[in-house]
Amino acid sequence: MPGSSKSGGAGGLPSPPHTASPSRPLRPSRYVPVSAATAFLVGSTTLFFCFTCPWLSEQFSVVVPIYNGVTFLFVLANFCMATFMDPGIFPRADEDEDKEDDFRAPLYKTVEIRGIQVRMKWCSTCRFYRPPRCSHCSVCDNCVEDFDHHCPWVNNCIGRRNYRHFFLFLLSLTVHIMGVFGFGLLYVLYHTQQLDTVHSAVTMAVMCVAGLFFIPVAGLTGFHMVLVARGRTTNEQVTGKFRGGVNPFTNGCWKNVSHVLCSSQAPRSLSLFVHHRCLWIYSMLIVYIWLYYYPLKQCVELQSSLHSKSSLEMMESQSCDAEPPPPPKPELRYPGLSRGHQEQHTEESSLLSKAPPTPTMYKYRPTYSSPGKNHTALTHAYANQSSQQPGFRSEPSLDGREAPGERGGGGLGGGGDRPGGGGSVGGAPGSGGGGIPGYSLGGRSYPSFSDPTVLSSGGGASRSSSVRSGSAHNAAHISEATTSTSYKSLANQTPPPRNGSLSYDSLLTPSESPDFESAAPDMSPGRHRTPAPPPVLGYSSPYLSAQLSQQRDAELHQPSASSVALLSSPHRAHYLRVTSSSSPPPPPERERLLQESHSHSHHSHSHSSRPPRFSRPPLLSDSAAPHHYPYRTRSTDTPLAPSTHPPRSPHPPPLGKSLSYSSAAAAEMQYRMVRKASASAGGGGGGGGGIQAPKDEIQMKLLSRTNGQPRSSLSSSGSTPSSPSHPISMSTRPGQAYPSPGNTQSPAHKLGGGVKKVTGVGGTTYEISV
Amino acid sequence: MATEFHNLQELRQSPSLATKVFIQRDYSEGTVCRFQIKFPSELGSRIERTLFEDTVKTLNTYYAEAEKVGGQSYMEGCLACATAYFIFFCMETRYEKVLKKISGYIQEQNEKIYAPRGLLLTDPVERGMRVIEVSVFEDRGSSGSSPSSNVSSGISQR
Repeated sequence: MPGSSKSGGAGGLPSPPHTASPSRPLRPSRYVPVSAATAFLVGSTTLFFCFTCPWLSEQFSVVVPIYNGVTFLFVLANFCMATFMDPGIFPRADEDEDKEDDFRAPLYKTVEIRGIQVRMKWCSTCRFYRPPRCSHCSVCDNCVEDFDHHCPWVNNCIGRRNYRHFFLFLLSLTVHIMGVFGFGLLYVLYHTQQLDTVHSAVTMAVMCVAGLFFIPVAGLTGFHMVLVARGRTTNEQVTGKFRGGVNPFTNGCWKNVSHVLCSSQAPRSLSLFVHHRCLWIYSMLIVYIWLYYYPLKQCVELQSSLHSKSSLEMMESQSCDAEPPPPPKPELRYPGLSRGHQEQHTEESSLLSKAPPTPTMYKYRPTYSSPGKNHTALTHAYANQSSQQPGFRSEPSLDGREAPGERGGGGLGGGGDRPGGGGSVGGAPGSGGGGIPGYSLGGRSYPSFSDPTVLSSGGGASRSSSVRSGSAHNAAHISEATTSTSYKSLANQTPPPRNGSLSYDSLLTPSESPDFESAAPDMSPGRHRTPAPPPVLGYSSPYLSAQLSQQRDAELHQPSASSVALLSSPHRAHYLRVTSSSSPPPPPERERLLQESHSHSHHSHSHSSRPPRFSRPPLLSDSAAPHHYPYRTRSTDTPLAPSTHPPRSPHPPPLGKSLSYSSAAAAEMQYRMVRKASASAGGGGGGGGGIQAPKDEIQMKLLSRTNGQPRSSLSSSGSTPSSPSHPISMSTRPGQAYPSPGNTQSPAHKLGGGVKKVTGVGGTTYEISV
Repeated sequence: MATEFHNLQELRQSPSLATKVFIQRDYSEGTVCRFQIKFPSELGSRIERTLFEDTVKTLNTYYAEAEKVGGQSYMEGCLACATAYFIFFCMETRYEKVLKKISGYIQEQNEKIYAPRGLLLTDPVERGMRVIEVSVFEDRGSSGSSPSSNVSSGISQR
């Protein structure tokens, strides 16, 4: 059975805790690849079992269908886990965490990992410095730990938590396809005289599908086997972070493999979920509603039947007076968290007395700056409210779709889409020629799936279903700009779709520059806007689209002559020519999807209201250096001028065409040539691979603090603890809810001796002496 | 003066959050979960350095134990594969078990060491394992002066 390899999944997206009905735009096109992959996988395998296996079991052995059944079950299990498991989403940071950064906070922070300088970029959406290997997926609108890629085939990001399942899915799918094709061939060879029968025809059709999908799936599997052996992620491979350099994250082939396959399942962040007590309350509500449905129904029927009688009024009141007994006090023990019973009751009562939004949810209100994310926040919020989730469970299959984020998928085409980095891997297996979008298809912006549909179907009583709600929960982070005047806040006015996503979304939205960019050296102190290296075009459209979208974004945000010149540069035109020459998938659908994502970005942009995170004006200073690619520098962190919306429209259509591996390979070559040219030009814009990277990192190290000191070089040398000023800012922020639900909210009573009782996060009550 | 503050304390029931200190991750050994043991200067007057560092070191030990790739995690993975991952509904993973231990340890540390000093540790898992959040509390009633002196006035009150 063929199986389009899908990778998808629910990204957890926070959602605003308010009760407003979200007008989340339904983007059904996001689910087209997932649906197609599922249909192919299940349908073809079912046909195989129905038409081919009976004869095989009779002719050879019953082991044949059993073996195929076990393999198929393994494929399905891993597919579901890759699709529905949280990839390792970082919840949005609280406001308090960001308060340390002032205007001068740098865009990048440098840390040293095993002697290698690694940059951590400030994420304006999530409001923290991205940990190493973390990237922000523009489709899911989340920062994902150990971000690999966004796979449209499973409609989910592939990150730390579900990479193993994705990898096993690919392996098992390859084996399954080979088995189906092989046994189908065996059937056909034994029935050469009866090829006109239905069974033979179906078997041959299944073989065709299997053969068609085998090449891209096998290519992708081989590619990921190399990645696992090298200890790299797809993102790092495609962006060429370690090209010619040293990978600080590798521990040797054996340890890398054992880490992927044998490490324990990482937990989900607790703050992604609504407080588990809320989940319990909601689930109990659902249960009690269900339990009392029949009595209520009888009451209504009795009402209608007695309505005709004159003395009905009294009877109605009597019959319907039988209210259901109040629900018993729920047991608030969760295995994941052990809390005192008393605290649980306190927490529960406090929660019951509150409006639906819990304190945990409250903190994710759109007080955060992310501009243009409001609509996304609303959509995620809606999904979030339908279910909650407790604890840090692994959440196997029900991890579900956390976020209505769009998922690009590495899927089938991924293997062939990275000729650049994965040159040793089957290069361009030509799967792209088969019209299978694979990774490149990820660039398409699929509509946000209605998580609520999945979540509500999962039932509030289900723990795992609540998992996803957490993702929606996080959507609450985004939104309104605060009054913070830090440069990071300035950067928050960036367009919503962020980098890191290897999907068509990046076509229309700027992608974030990778952390290990070997871009142009930092040119001004405190400013870390280094030009982004041109994406590895060999990795097909997503990066090209990212590049172009960044170009576009640069044009929008900093309409300087340099950016305009760059956009009209022959290089870019050449890229477009190269990519458009490839054999494209249906253009109308692509354009439609692009327009959808385009409109999405437009909508996002219109919401930006925060000043961008400060950074040097790279485009202006780099105007004289055409080889500097400005995408890296600004993009997501630059302010978004609403007036610059129109220029974005003309770009999407040509970008949508490049999906084939051959075009990607050609583009990759072009990219390399351009990078060499740029490197030789002395600007080091694109970076000469690893050679440029250390230089850049060193420069950045000189200009920025290292290892956790978020201060720019422009500020005073000493790490001035801004804590003395914090009380001022905090006290002057009216109505600010501190992140921890109970830190300051609980009506602590004085216990004498200056001891205050404070309910900490998670409901535990501490007595704090003041 | 003392009476005045006492009355203020009675008026204000809840302690005020003065500031939050964030202990960042230590990435010197890769993406393994480790937190910086460097003692933050904001806590200099509130808690002894050794106590704080012991807490962070113990947490680091716990996280290293959780992420250790060994026999138990391997068997767990094999069992999960064999049961098509349904075993996760019934069983806690090794990481989750260690996280429970960590949460219990943090609770105990808060009760014994940090709460008496007006501090509160937040479990990193609540923050996506990115930071250890240390909330510094001050008695609102005792800090009658400018907000910037909250910390110092709080200390003097104690």
